Amino acid sequence: MENKESLKIRNLIKYFHEPETFQVLKGVSFEVKKGEFLSIVGKSGSGKSTLLYVLSTMDTDYEGTLQINGDLLTGKTQNQLAAFRNEHIGFVFQFHYLLPEFSCLQNVMLPALKLGKYSTKEIEHKAYESLRLLDIEDQALKSANKLSGGQQQRVAIARALINNPSIIMSDEPTGNLDSKNTQAVLDIFKGLAKENGQTIICVTHDTDFANKTDRTIEMADGLII
Amino acid sequence: MAKSVNIQIASVHLTSKFWQTFVAIMGVTFGVSMYIFMNSFMNGVNKTQDDLAFSALSHIRIYNQDNNHSYNPIESEYDNSRTVFNIHNRKSIQYTSGIKNSSGIVSLVEKQEEVVAVARQINFSVFFRSGSKKINGRVSGIELEPEDKLFKSSETVTQGNWNNLQTHKSGIIIGKLLAKDLGLQVNSSINVLTSDGVSKNYIIVGIFESSIKEIDKTKAYLNITAARQLLGENSDYASDILINIKDRDYTAPVVKKLGLLIPLQIESWQEANEQLVAGASLRNVIAIAVSFTILLVAGFGIYNIMNMTINEKIKEIAILKATGFSGKDIKSIFLSQAGAIGLLGGFLGVVLGYLISLLINQVPFNVASLETLPIYFRVQDFVLAVVFGLLTTLIAGYLPSKKAARVDPVTIIRG
Repeated sequence: MENKESLKIRNLIKYFHEPETFQVLKGVSFEVKKGEFLSIVGKSGSGKSTLLYVLSTMDTDYEGTLQINGDLLTGKTQNQLAAFRNEHIGFVFQFHYLLPEFSCLQNVMLPALKLGKYSTKEIEHKAYESLRLLDIEDQALKSANKLSGGQQQRVAIARALINNPSIIMSDEPTGNLDSKNTQAVLDIFKGLAKENGQTIICVTHDTDFANKTDRTIEMADGLII
Repeated sequence: MAKSVNIQIASVHLTSKFWQTFVAIMGVTFGVSMYIFMNSFMNGVNKTQDDLAFSALSHIRIYNQDNNHSYNPIESEYDNSRTVFNIHNRKSIQYTSGIKNSSGIVSLVEKQEEVVAVARQINFSVFFRSGSKKINGRVSGIELEPEDKLFKSSETVTQGNWNNLQTHKSGIIIGKLLAKDLGLQVNSSINVLTSDGVSKNYIIVGIFESSIKEIDKTKAYLNITAARQLLGENSDYASDILINIKDRDYTAPVVKKLGLLIPLQIESWQEANEQLVAGASLRNVIAIAVSFTILLVAGFGIYNIMNMTINEKIKEIAILKATGFSGKDIKSIFLSQAGAIGLLGGFLGVVLGYLISLLINQVPFNVASLETLPIYFRVQDFVLAVVFGLLTTLIAGYLPSKKAARVDPVTIIRG
């Protein structure tokens, strides 16, 4: 179980065509084990964020192959990938990106409602559990845009967790958080990897943060160093 | 389950921007209500016009008139020959106009299932004389009951009684203005002089007032038997046979059918009164053009608002896509917003259109037989208004929602 492969990429190559053709990823290959807490670091322009969006299945304009949980995702349609993301991948973005018109609770519930596996009551119960795990249960019914940055980031993590995804991906999760909140996010991720066996992949340029993860991949000029 | 999430999101979007939603709904409301009002008003105008016209006009008229001048025995005999012929002082022989055996034709016509009423008439020009006054006019010899069934003529009689014609052998009913011009009242005597020089005195047993001035000034009714007597015609004679059918818009098939049975001239009201048909269809074109323009403007308004909403919410669309909502879901979220705007706007439009029409129906308008501006409601106008309103909003919402479905989450989230 411990050594089961969660994500595997082979020879990923990607070009940007605007403003001029430029090779961002020059053949990247690696595997991530289930329950591993992986961080990807590198300077701006090294291709680390680009790599994450390819891993996330949102970016499909690449060469090479991407497998998650043994499923080959390269070549699937946008709608199939959306359904796959919904069930298997949780996201945490740099700028927390909640839907401002919805309450925190609704924000957390939406992906599960979309999945439609459980009744609304069960989903609400799970959402409360998620929020409790992140110690933000008391803000559940507040509108998302009334929360502080750290609080919003925690709600975003709660949302990423709602469907029990096998992988959680995060782009600069601590990018605009203070050290206290950074530590909190780190602890949460560590707990998820260890206790739930969820794979976590973070892109960050915070080396302190990266040093506390299980494994760090460093990138430069589209290649793993 | 997934469907209801989309609708839930759509409703949050709609309610969080109340004014924007309100303006969009109002656009549809005005479009739909104008459609209903314009059409109801035009229907009212058309109906009034028709009611006026059909107070003296039957749907189909059968008559026999000399309009066949082509018969020439000499020319046809020597046609294509080398004979030179010369005819001096050519004269027409008397043509037997009118219908001699009208009851046979009436019973033939009455057998047709589309026919509602048949009435025979004898129409001819006369001079009405009283003392030294002499007025040119027309007499209609009529069958009381069928005539009343066709034109409700008995309702136009203001003094005396329509049925007096039945009992008084020498009774006559004359137009109100004709009576005034001759200075006559009910029970006065009036002299009628035909074009053949026959003169006879009648007693006025009634005075009628139709909605058409020209008729009130020149027309008089006789019983058909009295008219036959005056003209010296047989007891089965009529100059016109007038027919009303179930649906006056479909005269053509009936005319065609009767044409095969009856060797006389048969004319529908549309042929006889092309200006009525043209007027009605022109008014309909105007009504439709105006209401569609309004709906089109409302459609552009909705298109604009939807586009703005989608640009504002582009980040949220990206998030939804990132968390597993497909392009189809996004499209349905925005289309159901457009649909909700269309339905609500349509419903309010029906109510508003109805109220506006009722209000306009109260505006005084004292011309001819009218007292207020005419309004006539038809269910199909209401149904079509809602259908068009909904269609406009769905089309206006479709293009922006397609754009929303194509949003690439990566470019938005990476910034």
